[in-house]
Order: sequence, then structure tokens, then C-alpha cells
Amino acid sequence: MNALVTVDALQVAFATDSGPIIGVQDVSFTINPGETVCVVGESGSGKSVTALSLMRLVEFGGGTITGGALSFRRPDGQVLDVAAADSQVMAAIRGNEIGMIFQEPMTALNPVFTIERQLTDGLILHKGLSQTEARTRALDLLRSVRIPEPERRLRQYPHELSGGMRQRVVIAMAMACEPRLLIADEPTTALDVTIQAEILALINRLKREQGMAVLFITHDMAVVAQMADRVVVMYRGRIVETGTVTEIFETPQQDYTRALLAAVPKLGEMKGKPAPEKMRILGDDAAYAAAKPVTARKPEVLLDVRHLTTRFPVKGGILRRTVAQVHAVEDVSFTLNVGETLALVGESGCGKSSCGRSILRLIEPQSGEVWINGRDIGALGPHDLRRARADMQMVFQDPFASLNPYRRLRDQVAEPIQNFGLAQGQALRDRVAEIFDRVQLPRAFMTRFPHELSGGQRQRVAIARALAVNPKLIVADEAVSALDVSVQAQVLNLMMELQADLGLSYLFISHDMAVVERVAHHVGVMYLGRIVEIGPRAAVFDNPQHPYTQQLLSAVPIADPRRRRFADDLSFKPITSPIFPLGHQSAPSVYTEVAPGHLVLQS
Amino acid sequence: MKRFLSVKGLIGLILVGSMVLIGIFAPILIPPEAGTAMDMTSRLSPPSWAHPFGTDQLGRDLMVRVLLGTRLSLEIAVTAVMMSILIGLPLGMVSGYFGGITDNVLMRLVDTLLAFPALLLALTISAILGPNLQNTIIAIGVAFTPFLARIVRGEALRVAQMPYVEAARASGTTDMMILWRHILPNILPAVIVQATISIAFAILAEAGLSFLGLGTQPPAASWGLMIQASRDFLDRAPWTALVPGIAVALTVLGLNMFGDVLRDILDPRSK
Amino acid sequence: MTYVLNRLLSVILTLFLITLITFAITNILPGDVAMMIMGTQSNPEALAGLRQSLGLNDPLLVQYGRWVGGMLTGDWGDSLIFKKPIAELLSQKIVASAIIVVMSMTIALALAIPLGVWAAVHRDKWQDTASSSTALLGVSLPDFFWGIVMILVFARWLGWFPSSGFVDPSENFVRALRHAFLPSLALGLGLMAHLTRMTRSTMIGILGQEFIRVARAKGLSERTVIWRYALANAIGPVITIAGLQIGYLFGSIIVMETLFNYTGMGWLTYQALLNRDMPLIQASVFVIAAVVMLTNLVVDLLYVAIDPRIRLD
Repeated sequence: MNALVTVDALQVAFATDSGPIIGVQDVSFTINPGETVCVVGESGSGKSVTALSLMRLVEFGGGTITGGALSFRRPDGQVLDVAAADSQVMAAIRGNEIGMIFQEPMTALNPVFTIERQLTDGLILHKGLSQTEARTRALDLLRSVRIPEPERRLRQYPHELSGGMRQRVVIAMAMACEPRLLIADEPTTALDVTIQAEILALINRLKREQGMAVLFITHDMAVVAQMADRVVVMYRGRIVETGTVTEIFETPQQDYTRALLAAVPKLGEMKGKPAPEKMRILGDDAAYAAAKPVTARKPEVLLDVRHLTTRFPVKGGILRRTVAQVHAVEDVSFTLNVGETLALVGESGCGKSSCGRSILRLIEPQSGEVWINGRDIGALGPHDLRRARADMQMVFQDPFASLNPYRRLRDQVAEPIQNFGLAQGQALRDRVAEIFDRVQLPRAFMTRFPHELSGGQRQRVAIARALAVNPKLIVADEAVSALDVSVQAQVLNLMMELQADLGLSYLFISHDMAVVERVAHHVGVMYLGRIVEIGPRAAVFDNPQHPYTQQLLSAVPIADPRRRRFADDLSFKPITSPIFPLGHQSAPSVYTEVAPGHLVLQS
Repeated sequence: MKRFLSVKGLIGLILVGSMVLIGIFAPILIPPEAGTAMDMTSRLSPPSWAHPFGTDQLGRDLMVRVLLGTRLSLEIAVTAVMMSILIGLPLGMVSGYFGGITDNVLMRLVDTLLAFPALLLALTISAILGPNLQNTIIAIGVAFTPFLARIVRGEALRVAQMPYVEAARASGTTDMMILWRHILPNILPAVIVQATISIAFAILAEAGLSFLGLGTQPPAASWGLMIQASRDFLDRAPWTALVPGIAVALTVLGLNMFGDVLRDILDPRSK
Repeated sequence: MTYVLNRLLSVILTLFLITLITFAITNILPGDVAMMIMGTQSNPEALAGLRQSLGLNDPLLVQYGRWVGGMLTGDWGDSLIFKKPIAELLSQKIVASAIIVVMSMTIALALAIPLGVWAAVHRDKWQDTASSSTALLGVSLPDFFWGIVMILVFARWLGWFPSSGFVDPSENFVRALRHAFLPSLALGLGLMAHLTRMTRSTMIGILGQEFIRVARAKGLSERTVIWRYALANAIGPVITIAGLQIGYLFGSIIVMETLFNYTGMGWLTYQALLNRDMPLIQASVFVIAAVVMLTNLVVDLLYVAIDPRIRLD
């Protein structure tokens, strides 16, 4: 066998206060020249540790390779055991024969060195190039990763580049010495979906052109389906299953793999279905079959947003006066019916989050009206606003930060009830217990503190707190984005059950098109503070009219290896800045109705 | 490091604990006149069985004086720091949570005050009010307030931006309740750590003030005063400087070690 | 450029606030200047006369205006105890103190940076424990205690350096440095302890960043990673922290200069405070605060020069 890398029974241990713990064990797989192997798993599965071991970088994080062999075939045909190699040899391999890219493009580059210095130092070290030769090669590299104006970029510092551009520089750095293996550790997790598509396509092209192998670490099954030749599924430090990408996706052998795949929403799978459907959770088939599609009874408007505009001041100058404004939300109008879900989707900075907060008046909008139940929230004084908050609640993205670490869960769920004086004493305790039942948390959790719970459990507490005062509207701001995919499916199902049972309306803010397709009745696509397209879910997903919606949908990775989309270089229109000078007159949003209820922004 | 940490914590705890015990019990167990009793026949005598830490230039027993000085030192430092917390905590909390004009004006003032070295501020206040025990406390307390207000404000600002505060506001919690239920408990660990370290600094400041004659006045058994008095006899009787110096060092060291360990335990960001 | 202009304007505002605070501390607090000067037992008529001649009977605002106006026009008044123009006194003494401040800061930085980096790199090992314990001991000792130890060891026992007095550098530069050395060393050691701790924690923060891992993944040697990649990022924060210590240093020189009979700003301020020389107290408190603030400004500008991220603002 001419495998490039053979990992055999790898075991890595970490020293902790309470003795060594095993990070990964009994991990074996091979990487052949020129193929892409994806290691996939949820958080804590040991996938990153495996990748770092291959570079022996795991040592810098307090880990030690305590067992197994890591064979790497060097260019001269000699096979080296990486686990036993001395540090001189490893230094010669790192960045030279094996390149690596990481998750966080914003922090992966040294902020105080120029791009040129960071691109060339590896070349000078490994290839013995002169400064001028290294510079020429750096320019070539920047061109090959499709960075415009490469001469200028060399002189720039990392902070002058956008996130996508930085990740391209990191890739160029890893590719500098033409390694035979590229290790990519969650390289697109921190990026927006269009930039993710560009980076994935770039890695695919470079792999093809240079014939290098890729070890791709990710938690995202959709990315796996798009990138992998072969797949290694990991769970809690061990390998669950390995196979070719079609084997894993079409005939998975292990329950864990099947459960993982079932929990992943697949873009396009809702085609032809009239209403949102719960996620299929393995081992829970009965509940799935019993669940009815979440349909609204009769359309009745709950939330009516008219011409909502929110701007943030940009301070500057001598007296810290406002010199410009961020047009976070610009003339946004929509309605949300009782018992339905409207999803606002868009990439980071599009204003979807600000829109949700403006509706709840957690930030003060500039102008516009927000009608809930026939009351204009925007016109309420402080006292009435506080009372009106009982009707509208919010669930936040980060389950670790949205609960007060120093209060018992019971008290946190009780707080809204107490605020409105809805119950006291025993009645209050009963009500809180009831809500814990409702979100399927054991009552024993009531006296616990947040740090004793997992991320998914905390998010249930956050939902419980929102439910406490029987609201009509819940704004869910990326409420499932921070969760592992199997937990995400459970929380989504809970939200849909609550909707069916209690007639809740959700304003579901998300960047994830596949999740949105699953849960939403209506979808609004936001771009630069405006809704560029809005309508029934089926209309927007099946017949997107606005170029931005089309671009967004074409960039979403699909969890199906037969529907690959990132073979060739992709280049999407970059998002421009939403900052405008003071007094800038923004044009009103005018829409064309292309189908009943399906509106597209005229530009 | 973890083992070092716990060893460090233990040493810190033992040091602080013994100093507090000495501070409480020394003045009860030792008759006050023992601290001022002069014995002109044994002036500047080196450590011996009769005087384990030696005697000073007036023949007073240094061990007795150093033990009696513990309460004075701790009393001044703890009261001064409590005073600065009493002023700085509400100021910093309100400033950080509400922001806006008040915050701007307050913090501009605090920043300017921080340009005045704390010791200079304390010395000046003490000199103008007239040096005595009470004014020493006021001087140190005032001098430490800007720093504390700054720290509290920074913490309050950080906590005010946490989603759980936004969640509380979204569920109709009033500002006062948010400050009480959410901001205060979450900034308290940082305040406790800062207070511990501030007490250490206050002990140093008090020693400095007394050393310069602008703090507690003789014949009080103040460590700073004792070091001050030793200056003229350094050659002949170095123990007169070393004994109170080591007392200051051990107390401050204990507080610093304790503070470091508290920070590691309480401050989630240091993990 | 706007950044620098902004900072300059803010400096003027801060200077104004410093005069206000200085004046407030020395006037609004209860305490009668005339009585401080003459003592509580003095003759009431003489007191009244002194009050009149010092202008203490004027409204505070008028007194404040006279003080600031005087300083702006270069008339800083006369010292009551030295019977000399304050401006002249200050300009001499500030040079003496500058020598000590620069010297102690140099000593502190030269020792603290390598020690802090060393501790951070060997985090949780014996090297770290050793360096951290030394630093902890350093911050726990009052600096005048260090001063006494220095006098004892280097002046009395070894006789290497003089233990007291100031020599003007324009007269004899080497002797001036020798006289400044012991107080600077005593101050520098305390400062070093603090800066070592800060360098260590800054470096630990930086060594945990992704770009360090990227540098290692490039195959760069540990020496390059630590002393170039990491230290280049730590130097800005460390200098900022060092700058903030200038305030602490100007507090400590009051004690240290007095201990070493070194006639600089600290010594002068102490004399003023001890003798309740109100005009001199006001002037020296103002000058120290202003110098501290201006040093911090210089450090900030230095940071701008070092760190490319701030240049754009």
C-alpha cells in the first residue's frame, strides 16, 4: 500500500489536575496521495486532537501521544513515524511537507507583521529562498488563491483584510512549500456561507492542481458530503465508522452515524411539503410519526412591522460626535401570523439580529411602527413597554452566556413571572415546575446552576424562561446555531411542538438556510439592512427571484454527496459596507409582487 | 501549577489567617503598656531570650510592638479599602451600566484622578487634614477610590453586555433589579479579588505614610513608624528595620497570594 | 493624524481638570493654610495679616483664577520655606527625578521582560514557580524597605555606592549616576516584580492565540515563535503597563528620595507637605500629575507607532 499517511491505534492523553485523561484512543485510518479524507464528529469527539497529532502540535496544548504509530511517507519514499520523530525532523516537515489551516481566520495571522513577512518566512526557512525570490513566490501564491491586487496585499497588515481574504492568505501560507498533505481544521466554520463556498471551492481546486491529499476536519455533515472522498466518523475519542463518502451517506452501518445523518437538515428536502415538519430523531420514530405538520389554523396577523429603521451612530472626531451611521435595519416591513414562523435569513452584518432587537425595543429603532395585537410597541412609554414585554420574549444564541451563572435555574425561570406579578408562593413554584416539564427538563434541575448543564439543556432553560409569561411572540436569535447537530434537532423539535400546542409565533433569525427551510412558514432574506425578498417558504426556496437570494441558495452545502456544487472556483459579490455619512438619504424599499405574498425588492 | 496554586493558596491563607488572629488577640492578651514600656538599660539590644526580636532605641520590646502593630495596620487598611468600595462600587456600577453622559463625565474625572499617584494623593490629603489615625484612613480611602471605581465600571460594562442581562430586560426586569440580581453578583468576584489586593496595597501605603511621618503618629506601634525610627541605627541594629519590614512583607505577601488564588478560582476569564 | 490631534485636545482638557483637582484638594478640604503655616498657637492678628497677604480672604474662584493665571504667565509664585521662585526650584528638581525614573524603569524592563517571557514559556513548570514566587515577594515588600536593604548592603557594608545626596549631572555625570543608582535599584526591583507578572500573563495570553499555532505549523523554530512572533505582540501591552507604572513610580520617589536624601521632585514635595508650604504643594502636586499624564500620552503614541492596527484610526 502506498498510503501517504497511516494512523495506527493512535492514543493521545492530556494531563489535567485529576490525572491524565485520554483524548483519543484506538484511532486508525489512512490517507492516500491526492484524496480528501474528512474526519467528522461533534464537539469533544477528538477530531481536532487527531489532526494536531499528525503535526505533533498536540504537544503544545498539553497532550502527549501515548500509543500507536503515525506513519508519514516523505517525498524520498522513506516512511517516518511521526510519533517518534525528533523535533528537528518535525520542524522540517511542518509547513513544508504538511501544511495546516485553522478555524479562526481573524486570529490566525500575526497582527503586527505584514502579509509579506508571514508568507515568506516559511519559504526562506524551508526552501532557502532569498528575500526577492520568496517575494516573487508569495505573489504567485496570492494570485493562485485569487486575491486581488497581490502587490498591495503584501504590504498590508492582517487587520486590513476581510475574514474571507485572511483565510485565503492562511491557505496560501499553508500551500507555500507545496506540501503533500494539507490539514484543514474546521477552516470554514467561522465564515459566512458564501465565503465558505468560495474557500471550499478553492481547496478543491488547489488539491486537484497540486495532487495533494487533504485531511479535512469538520462538524458539518453537509460540508463532508461536498468535500470528502472518504469519511472517518468520530465520537468521544474513538472512531465509529469509516468508509467512502457514498457508503457513509447512503448505507451507514452504525447507529451513531445514522442518527447524525438524520439530524442534519438537507437543503431541498422540504420541496413539495406544505408546512414545517419536525426533524426525524433516530429511536424516536413513534413520536415522529405521531407529529402532525405544524400548520396555522386560520391566518390572523400577530406582528405587523412597518417601515422599521434602526441606525447606530459611528462616533469620531474630537468631541466624539456622530460622524456616520450604520444602517443596520433599513425600511423593513413584514407581518407574522399567529402560530406561524417567519424566518429572517442573511449573512453576518445583514441586520437580522438588530431587526429582532428593534422589534422588542431592546435597541431603539429610528423610525417605523411595530404593531403587536393592535398596539404600537414603538409608541409605548417606559411603563407600558415593560408590561408589553410579557407578550414578546427572546431566546438568544449562546446558551452559555444567556443564563446568569450565579442564579439557580428556578429563579431565572421565575424572574419574568415575578416581574409581572403573575404568581407567588406555591403557585409560582408550581408554574415553574410545569414549565420545566413543558421543555422536557427534569424537575431536579430546578435547583441547579447553569454550569451543571449541557449546552442543549441550557437552551431549554432559556426557552423555559421565555415561555414563563405565556408570550405570543418569541424572537429566536440564532437559537440553535451554537448547538451540536443532534442537540439542534431536539431543540428545533421542541420549538415546533410548543408552537403546535401553544399557538406561538416565532421570529426565527438564522444564517442556516437548511434549518430555515425546515422550520419556517415564511422567509425573509436580508441584505444590508433590507429585506430583499420575502414570501412563503416554498416560493422563496423553489423560485428565488432576487440575485442575492439566488447567490445565497447556491452557496449552501448540501448534505448529499451526489449533489456536489463546489468543483470550480466560485466568486460571489462581496457584501458592501452598511455605513453611510450622516444625513444620507436612503431610498425607500419598494417591492414587486411576483406571486401572491412573494415580494422582491426593486433595485 | 495547580499544586503550586493550592500550596500558594494554603500559605496565603495561613499568613492572612495568622495576621488576622494576631490582630484580634494581641491587643487583648498583651497589656497596652507593654508596647510603650521603655527599658533604657537595654536599648538596641539584639534578639535574645528576653527580647526574641530585640529592642528599639528606647529599649521597647520589638516583638510586642510588632504584634500590637498588626491590628493597627489591618484596621487602617481594611477600613480604608471598605471606604473606597463604599464609594467606588455604586459609582462604578451605575456608570458602567447606564453609560451615557454621566459615565463620560465620571470616567473623565476618574482618569484624571488616576494621573495623581495614589501615595501622593494620600500624603497630600493627610498633610492638609493633619496627620492622625482617622485622617490616614480617609487619605488612603480617597486615594484608592478612583482605581476601584475604574475596575468596577469596567466589570459592570462587561456584564451589562451579557445576553442574560438583555434577557432580563426583555422579560421586563427593572434596571434596579438588574443591577441587584444580575450585575452585582457577577462583578462581586472581581471586586473581592480587587479588595484583597487593595488591602495589601493599603498596608504598604500606610507604612509609607507613617514612614514619612504623615500617617499614624508616635508613640503608636505602627510598622512604618518603626522602620522610620530604625533609620539612624541601621549599622548597629539592623533588626530594628528588619523586624517590622518582615512583618509588612509577610502580611502583604499573604494577601497577594490569597488574592492570586482567589482570582484563579473566582475569575472565569483567567481559566 | 486626527488621532494625535484628538489626544492633544484631550490633554489640554485633562491638564485643566488636573489644576481643578489639585486646587480642590488643597482648598476645599477643611484646613486653614495660614494656621498650618504659623501653627495653632499663633497670634490671631498675625494670622489675619497672613491670610490677607496670601489672598486667602478672596472667593475661591478668584484664588483659583489667580493661581492658574500665574502659572500660564510663568509666575508660579515663591516657596514659603525655600524663599525662592517655585518655577526655578521645580525645573532643577525635575531633572534629578527624571534620572531616577528613567534609570529604575530601564532596570525594571531589562529584567522583567526576559524573566516574564521565560516564566510564560515554562508555564506551570519550576521555572514559572520560581519566577512567579520571586515576583510575588518583590511586590509584597514596601519599596522603602528595599531602600534600607540597599543602604545597608551596598553603602554601609560593601561601600560601593553613596547612600545619600544628589550630584548635578552637568557637574559630574558619573558621580550623578552613582548617587542615583541605589534609589533607582530599590525602585526598579519593586517595579520589576510587577512588570514580570504582567509580562508573564500577557505572554501567556498571546501564546494561546491561533497565530502562534499557525507559526508552529509553518515549522518555525520555538525561538522564532517566542522571541519574534509572540514578543512582537507583547511589547505593546507591556510598554503600556510600564507607562501606567509611572504614576506609581512618582509616588514612590517621594519616599525613596527622602530616604536617600536625594534632592529631587519627591524630596521637594515631601518638604513642602511636611512644612505646609501651600504654594509649593500646589505646584508640585500639579507638576507630578501633569508629568504622569504626559508620560502616559507619550506611551500611547509609542504604542500607535508599534502596533499597525491603530494607525488607521
